[in-house]
Amino acid sequence: MKDLKHLIFFENLLQDAQNELVTKAVEEGKHALGYNCYYLPEVLLNLDGCFSTRLRAPRCTSTDVATYYMTGRTCPYVRSILERAIEGGYNYLSAVFGSESCAAMERMEEHLYLLNPIKHENFFVTIIDPPMRGDKTHLDYYKAQLRKHVLAPMEKVLKADTSDEAMRRAIERFNELCEVITQIGEFRKLDNPPITGYEFHVIQVVSEVCPHELILPYLKETLEEIKTREPEPSFPFRARVVLAGSEVDDPDFTKLIETCGAMVVADRYCFGSLPSREKIEILDGESAFDAICRHYLHWNQCARFMDGMKIDQRHSELLRLAREYKADGIIYENMKFCEFWSYEKVLASHIMSAENGIPCCTIEKEYALGSVGQLRTRFQAFVESLEIKKINE
Amino acid sequence: MGKLIGFIDDKLKRFDPVWRAENGKGGQRSRYHDVTGVAKYREWRGVKDTMFDYASWLNNVLAMVKMVGSAPVSIMKGFWEYRWMGSYLGTFMFIDRLFEGYRGEELRVAHAQMHAIVRSLTGRIGYILSHDRRLGASQAKSEKLVPMDEVLPELFMTGFPGLYPVPLQTLPEFIICDVDQHIEPYYIDVAESFGLPADVCSRCAAETGVALDDAFPLVGKALITTNMPCNASEATSMFQRRRVGLPDYQATLAMIHNDDELALPFSRQIMKETIAFVEEQYGVKFNWDAFFKAARRINEQNNFELEKWDYMKTGYTAEVGVSETLYKLYEWQSVNGADPYFNKVDRKVMKRLRKCYEKKYQPFGGKTRHRAFLWGPSAVYYTDFPTWVQNCWGIAIVLNMDSTMGFNMIDTEDPDKAIDDLARLTQKATMRHMAVGGWDNVNAVWEWAHNFNCDMVLMNDNIACKGMLGVHAIMEEQARDLGFRFIFIEHDLEDSRTVSRQNMRDCVNQYMSIVLNEEPLDPTLLNFDDSDAY
Amino acid sequence: MKCNKKEIAKALLKLLGKLGLIGLLFFVVTFVIYMGNFENKLIYYVVRPFLNKHYDSQVRDRRIV
Repeated sequence: MKDLKHLIFFENLLQDAQNELVTKAVEEGKHALGYNCYYLPEVLLNLDGCFSTRLRAPRCTSTDVATYYMTGRTCPYVRSILERAIEGGYNYLSAVFGSESCAAMERMEEHLYLLNPIKHENFFVTIIDPPMRGDKTHLDYYKAQLRKHVLAPMEKVLKADTSDEAMRRAIERFNELCEVITQIGEFRKLDNPPITGYEFHVIQVVSEVCPHELILPYLKETLEEIKTREPEPSFPFRARVVLAGSEVDDPDFTKLIETCGAMVVADRYCFGSLPSREKIEILDGESAFDAICRHYLHWNQCARFMDGMKIDQRHSELLRLAREYKADGIIYENMKFCEFWSYEKVLASHIMSAENGIPCCTIEKEYALGSVGQLRTRFQAFVESLEIKKINE
Repeated sequence: MGKLIGFIDDKLKRFDPVWRAENGKGGQRSRYHDVTGVAKYREWRGVKDTMFDYASWLNNVLAMVKMVGSAPVSIMKGFWEYRWMGSYLGTFMFIDRLFEGYRGEELRVAHAQMHAIVRSLTGRIGYILSHDRRLGASQAKSEKLVPMDEVLPELFMTGFPGLYPVPLQTLPEFIICDVDQHIEPYYIDVAESFGLPADVCSRCAAETGVALDDAFPLVGKALITTNMPCNASEATSMFQRRRVGLPDYQATLAMIHNDDELALPFSRQIMKETIAFVEEQYGVKFNWDAFFKAARRINEQNNFELEKWDYMKTGYTAEVGVSETLYKLYEWQSVNGADPYFNKVDRKVMKRLRKCYEKKYQPFGGKTRHRAFLWGPSAVYYTDFPTWVQNCWGIAIVLNMDSTMGFNMIDTEDPDKAIDDLARLTQKATMRHMAVGGWDNVNAVWEWAHNFNCDMVLMNDNIACKGMLGVHAIMEEQARDLGFRFIFIEHDLEDSRTVSRQNMRDCVNQYMSIVLNEEPLDPTLLNFDDSDAY
Repeated sequence: MKCNKKEIAKALLKLLGKLGLIGLLFFVVTFVIYMGNFENKLIYYVVRPFLNKHYDSQVRDRRIV
């Protein structure tokens, strides 16, 4: 396939947390708001005068100082974020909106106010206590948490307009972005897609880390380009897989899988688009804020949800993705030391393979892709097993 | 009589390990077979204390006999069916280990409290096994029981006097891991054989293993799980609810809970829903009068606890070390107002403690060199850690983390106020109020240590606890700034293969000998192999 | 009557003596078990290995449900 026009530009944007678009938006006087987790509605952080940037620590090779603070036995993602903060890599941030999604993440966010490594005028950190079930009681709690720990400081410290009208405007802008990403992502359902999993991963991540307003024109142009892009003469991969699990913010991980012969056709992991790029619908008589909360609680498929409804939802959703995207198998990954996904991958891979006949491969990974020899071997073996299964069928 | 006892004590003192350690003729460890942890003979504590210890042992034997007598067939079937039941045979060795070196008033307080635990636990085992469908109990009989997560305090269940709450993981995991260091590794291996990584919390891995091994008693008709205390326990509940296969409710109380404005209304609602769930599933009504009665008992216990703390702050107390923390853990977490016998024991103990304070009684013959606040969970008990640090280094564990669970009073008249108090109390359950839920909970360590006049903080460092690992260096830096002697004691909670008991003891040995340059009180306790012990 | 009283007292004394003897025997036996740590030795060296052997030979319904 012909290279995408903006791919190198997008790849360059992912080389630093503070990329050129982020810098530009900050210079224009906008508040850069960092966040780590889907529990923090991205759309709320994109009210007028603010923009969201999901925190990454690209090219992080050593987490020595963060490891001193949090030991080497905690999630490498959160340690990398803390390391980058201590290195001064997030000084452009006006605030970090945290979430007690897991203990490690919450501890890292605490360090951001205990050590105060982010040097920015009036910088602050807030942490929500996110819900663990999908019912009304938890929706109400979610709303209360977001009101107190997100909207109130945005209004008070950042002087952001948090009115219903402002939120509706933010939803409109957000939906426009989601529409573009979703349309690009839908191409992956084709038998011979005009886009690779790697390319889509790059596109999705730039949409999460860059100011929406500044990245959107490039994404729209890319969508138009893909519409007419000539795919390879025949499907160049040996298998199609869904990638599911915890944080994967490095498209090189997708590339690793794809170089082993399996195209990543669906991205159901933290930083992925499924979920995250669904459009927000405001129901009749519903406030914009209520719609946002309902939307995020509904689509959230974090492994920390405890109720049967949400547990079933995250499994049935994965089944849906596997069917719609014609996946031959599922790769479950979890960041090393991630309690939630460590458990979920054991249960879910059993449900997918033993109860639904979808082959699964489960792996554990570091944040920084260093020595990937073992993973490569695992993926190659998995792809081979998928091929053998196809032959046998 | 006194003279005779004095004469015998004098003649037999060479058998007393404390005297032997003082006189360079051995010590506590001299009377053990190495590796196995089996004592060649029991500790000679002088005539009076030995006879008291013997009588207490006999009393506990009788409680066991009573348990077997209450449901002989079910108990025998239970021993045959459940691997974890076999571990309860280690109870006597466990008690002996815990109270090594205890004399006089501290021995009496310790045994009074321990007997309450033995009495309650044996009763509970007998009752649960006799209602276990796996062991032949009928569906109807079993349905009086309500299986629930061990970390969820049972106080709210006292409002259902016709139902019997069963903290599901308590028998196969939460308590027995303290008695037998070898039982949970078996269940951990079962969980890991299904692909669960070895770096998750071993407590929750063990619970998962029990579920996968089909080793939970089959009781009740609906299950209550909870998000307490932490991420891994939330995750393991996925496996347990599937294996148990009953309708379930998840009591997901606020995680960041030191915030009455947001957390309290939410946790209150969760408590209401939990009660409504039991009402609906079991077809019974919540009885406020029964609840208030139990709440009065909890309030009395909490009042006693606060009074005890005042004595413990001074050092003139017989409520010490492991007996204090284990009793508090059991009384609060497993009894939680349901058993009046504990109040009876508390009243007796309080009388004794008041006298001790008046007499300025110093435990362990006044040999305490340091006063320490201990921040530790299960690994504290199976290593008999507070007892060991006292006997080996003279470090008195003044208070342990488990004793800092919710101690707010419960309103006993107004249901609305009572449910708020219940939510507050429930939020502060074991481990969850300490290791997770925000920085304030951990930061409280220093205030506790300061208030209890401690010069030392011993921080159990669970190598798989993401909540506590996340504040590792900050704690160390704070200890330095605030002038506390501070030791991290690595452990793997319920998996003694990863970090052995001796590895844990070495953390203290090295600090005491290298940093503080001190000599042990009993050198036989410095290095010994108890890897095959219960 | 007098004789009866004496006999009752004698029988009572005898009973008390027997009870005392049983009590003493009970004390001696249990105290020896206690002091010699015999019950724990029995549990550790005999009962536990026996039970472990049984547990290890169990076929359990081990699976993810």
